[in-house]
Amino acid sequence: MRLSEGISGHIYKVIGIQVEENIERRLSALGLISGTHITLLNKKRKGAVIFSVRGTRFAIGKHIADGILVEVTV
Amino acid sequence: MKEELNIGFIGNPNCGKTTLFNAYTGAKLKVANWPGVTVEKKEGAMKYHEHLFKLVDLPGIYSLTSYTMEEKVSRNYILSDDVDVIIDVVDASALERNLYLTLQLIELGKPVVLALNMMDIVEERGMEIDMHRLPEMLGIPAIGVSARKKTGLEILMHAASHHKDHSTPDNLVHQHKSDKESKHVHNHHEEYAMVYSDLIEDKIDLIIEELQTHYPHLTNFRWHAIKLLEMDPEIMEKYPINRPDIIDRSYEKDIINQKYDFIEEIIEEVVVNKSKQVATTDKIDNLLTHRFLGLPIFLGIMAIVFFLTFTVGDYLKGYLEILLEWISGGATAGLEAVGAHPMLISLIVDGIIAGVGGILTFLPNIFILFLALAFLEDSGYMSRVAYVMDGIMGKIGLSGRAFIPMLLGFGCTVPAVMASRTLENRRDRLKTMLVTPFMSCSARLPIYVLFSEMFFKEHAMLVAYSMYVIGIVVAILVAFIMSRVEQVGSENSLLIELPEYKAPNARSIAIYVWEKIRDYLTKAGTTIFIASVIMWMISNIGPTGFVTDMSESFAASIGKVLVPIFTPIGLGHWQIVVALISGIAAKEIVVASCGVLYGIGNINSEQGMSDIVTLLAATGFGAVNAYALMVFCLLYVPCAATIATIKKESDSRKYTLCAVAFQLGVAWLMAFLVYQVGRLL
Repeated sequence: MRLSEGISGHIYKVIGIQVEENIERRLSALGLISGTHITLLNKKRKGAVIFSVRGTRFAIGKHIADGILVEVTV
Repeated sequence: MKEELNIGFIGNPNCGKTTLFNAYTGAKLKVANWPGVTVEKKEGAMKYHEHLFKLVDLPGIYSLTSYTMEEKVSRNYILSDDVDVIIDVVDASALERNLYLTLQLIELGKPVVLALNMMDIVEERGMEIDMHRLPEMLGIPAIGVSARKKTGLEILMHAASHHKDHSTPDNLVHQHKSDKESKHVHNHHEEYAMVYSDLIEDKIDLIIEELQTHYPHLTNFRWHAIKLLEMDPEIMEKYPINRPDIIDRSYEKDIINQKYDFIEEIIEEVVVNKSKQVATTDKIDNLLTHRFLGLPIFLGIMAIVFFLTFTVGDYLKGYLEILLEWISGGATAGLEAVGAHPMLISLIVDGIIAGVGGILTFLPNIFILFLALAFLEDSGYMSRVAYVMDGIMGKIGLSGRAFIPMLLGFGCTVPAVMASRTLENRRDRLKTMLVTPFMSCSARLPIYVLFSEMFFKEHAMLVAYSMYVIGIVVAILVAFIMSRVEQVGSENSLLIELPEYKAPNARSIAIYVWEKIRDYLTKAGTTIFIASVIMWMISNIGPTGFVTDMSESFAASIGKVLVPIFTPIGLGHWQIVVALISGIAAKEIVVASCGVLYGIGNINSEQGMSDIVTLLAATGFGAVNAYALMVFCLLYVPCAATIATIKKESDSRKYTLCAVAFQLGVAWLMAFLVYQVGRLL
């Protein structure tokens, strides 16, 4: 599923990143790569989200949230 | 022995780097741009015992690749000989995020000292950091500090001065857990903190051999080899090697992954009680970024900011105006007493004091606005605004981040245009710079106040408000049309860090506000000073020399030439034209110029107003003309200081000229519509 389809408060594991190369580079510098666990903190109707990765919160627009593929962790 | 040491401060955004930097240098900073780019460079100096330390504050960055301007500037500075020691400032309460940059810095091979900032917060949360184990794993000294509480500052500088010659790591005591079956010929763990997998280490060895043959003078072969494996564009161009068998693809992702694997090992061994999370920020965010309440709360906060700016600011401004009148009266009397030439008196009183002083009376408004904005920024709220506004801004093809400069535009266009530099891509920056001047700044308010009171009487307030609305509508419309024409909307996606909320730091706010006020004073002392002198000269000197009748001045000649252009928009009077031209120096001057050009002493008084209305009415200038004038003032070229700022920020004369021409065109067109439609009513 896409991160933009997630539920606030849930923890997800990143399984793929499908965004433009420059955005992907910035995400990976933040430690957001395949295998990373992220927590979804807040979501707007349009798909923009707030999540935390490695102890830091980030807000991203719908476009990036659509491009981050995640799966539910147990 | 006296020595001079150059120390570079580097760290992630929001790690408290600038607070730490300010704690050492105070407000005595030299702020400039790095050569050739619009990335701010802050320099300060301090005395440490008998030594002189020069401190450079590098931009806040997450990594040291060469994909953004900030990263490139930082990397090249660190690689240069201009720096002796690097202080890597990390937020100790978010070590996992911050150590990535640290590992990259260590690889660069310069002496690095780790400053673990925010140790007070670490303690508050009951976390503990093993300060013995951390240096063992990284091979660099680690010092706990708190920039806000000013602890550990002395010992950090001590470490920096003693560590300046250590370009090889201190005792490293570490083996990766996964290394048991390593078949790589070298055990690098005693030499380097960051050791990669066999596959990568083998390739690094081969590339180093190549580099040693082709570029024997390089200083850090390992770092260059790693960068070549990452296919870093800058290093590939500078030091190309032709070995596609080794560099068969970019190993950037593998290298990033392995760095983060190592960081996870460090966190596991070094941080105790890390699971204890602070819920405060999440609780505040639940309210402030709420999907329905977020926007109304933001609008409420802005209403308070503007209320403070205009009511409290205007209250203080009244006192400054009294002071200004007193100075201007005193100067006239004093100059007359010493028998100064009337021409000189006129230049000083009507030109310089009226021009520069008129601008300085806005200082209280500016001060309060920036105080409020500094408060919003330092507390961590500003980045939430970008999130709250992202949906609306997305519709006009900009990211939520672009809303921050537009918001600042209500105060003063100059810092607003400067704020656009925080946007990631140049196209968004240019677009934001183009529409930000349409947001009605405080300098335009005197024009609305005067003309709406003269021509609209009881509806004056409504007319003044309508200007703000027209400004916002035009800005949104222009951005919307541009996004439709461009047809590319994918890249403007928001990506912004939301720092923990914290009580704003008085010192940081004081320095922030002082920087803006100083800029404003400098502007008044230079641009506006010169513009005021020129304005006075062209309206008092004509082909026949010093003129008493202004209609014989150069100003009148210029105005009369341009009258045909302004006639279709209802402003075909040479005095109005000249006032509008003078408004390019600063929009407030339009009001003062009208008074001077129509020969009315106190244009703000009731007598003065009725005089000018009678005068104008005789030439057919009525309410519709006045409204067209206000619309034109709202939209036409921003003041000279804004034009200079747009030039500086865009670094393009062509763009600046186009922007100015575009704004003039929009203003003319809108005023034309208002006048032609209004005449029919």
